[in-house]
Amino acid sequence: MHLDPFELHRPTSVEETVGLARSLAGRFDYLAGGTDLLPNYKMHLNLRPHLVALEAVPELTGHSLERLGAMSRLADLERDPALAAAWPALADALREVATPLVRASGTVGGNLLVETRCFFFNQSYFWRASLGFCLKADGDRCHVVPQKTTCYATFSGDLAPALLVGDAEVEIAGPTGRRRIPLTGLYDAGGDGIRRLTLQPGELLVAVHLPPRARGRRGRYLKLRVRPAYDFPELGVAVAGRWDGDGRVQELRLAVGGAEPHPRTFDDLTAPLEGQRLNDARRAALGEEVARRVRPVHNTFLVPEYRKKMVAVFVRRALAQAEEGRAA
Amino acid sequence: MGSDDRVSFTLNDRPVQAACPPERILLDLLREELRLTGTKRGCDLGTCGCCTVLIDGRPTLSCLTLARLVEARSVTTIEGVSPAQGLSAVQRAFVELGATQCGFCTPGFVMTATALLREHPHPSRSEIEQAISGNLCRCTGYLAIVRAIESAAGSAP
Repeated sequence: MHLDPFELHRPTSVEETVGLARSLAGRFDYLAGGTDLLPNYKMHLNLRPHLVALEAVPELTGHSLERLGAMSRLADLERDPALAAAWPALADALREVATPLVRASGTVGGNLLVETRCFFFNQSYFWRASLGFCLKADGDRCHVVPQKTTCYATFSGDLAPALLVGDAEVEIAGPTGRRRIPLTGLYDAGGDGIRRLTLQPGELLVAVHLPPRARGRRGRYLKLRVRPAYDFPELGVAVAGRWDGDGRVQELRLAVGGAEPHPRTFDDLTAPLEGQRLNDARRAALGEEVARRVRPVHNTFLVPEYRKKMVAVFVRRALAQAEEGRAA
Repeated sequence: MGSDDRVSFTLNDRPVQAACPPERILLDLLREELRLTGTKRGCDLGTCGCCTVLIDGRPTLSCLTLARLVEARSVTTIEGVSPAQGLSAVQRAFVELGATQCGFCTPGFVMTATALLREHPHPSRSEIEQAISGNLCRCTGYLAIVRAIESAAGSAP
């Protein structure tokens, strides 16, 4: 498959990038690792006439225990034992993204902002033309939940849930300067599979900040997928927390991705568990309540009824495994 | 970036320069412009690993790499892994242990295995299985492939 022609830009600073983004308003995509964008371009999904490649912007690369540059390669993070010890849920998630070859190119920023997915979207132009296009690309209706306003495409990044339970923040550069917001604020909870991010036109994700207060929480990320290699998540559940010497919860976070148009947290359900010991009944009850709220639709390989049931199972397992896990 | 619509880089230890519009994928540049057809086009979407090359020593999917972005970097393809005489340890092990059936995926596996053994000269079986989990063999001859990589690890220089 050949790509349609586009103009390629290769800025070397954040300021230059943001300037380019302003001048190209609405007519460009950022190119990070390219492992999702280029397959989508090959399938003629929402082509833009300009690509702004980010690999030559030094400020976006490199990582530490406190900061992950948006262009940090997943494979480099995966090879850092200190990072894995400090952020165990993140370490799980890194190992679960696609394949080692995809992770060699794939980036933190690309994974957090990855295009939402749907059985009716991630198809060739010919396939989509045959059925009739959809809201998310070239059309005006949804084939999953038939209507003409809301897109149900699924957020399919593995890192977001794992970073959400680490209370991560994101640094964003834009035409009016820099801002830093909690990662939860990056995803538009009121949006849908198309209007899915709170980024303003021309804004650039610069880095993820990992707050020291959350470092060393025990954690786990569990991923549901058909093939244990390559597949995007059909569901991803992340848990992180601390337990005292008596097994009482000191702090607990839970996040779910891969099931809805955006990942989300459940602080109102986990906060009341602080001070308590978790047992099978409490873990099961939390799993059932989370599963009640999460509403997958039939737009991926596995049927939504099964994915919903698995929410309860994965929450239960992730909680138990995180608590058992060695504290860093 | 190089001059307009050209790219210059090191290919199998030799400098090359080629005409290259921005939308050209590295895999296409290698196969169609530079006529190095050892690198295979499988799925063309990053799933199968048949197109794996090394960029600055890292195994990389050439089907998902814009050729212009290898400017000034070093690319190694299957045509560049053999020593001046004979085969590399990985290639020899694939031949001797019959780790090819139709052979279409073999260049990708050899590139991935070559990079693995450079990083981990003595990988465990599970490290090998992990490392090749992005390379698909539709003939499903994985056992022989894993054995060949183990054997190459034993004999690699």
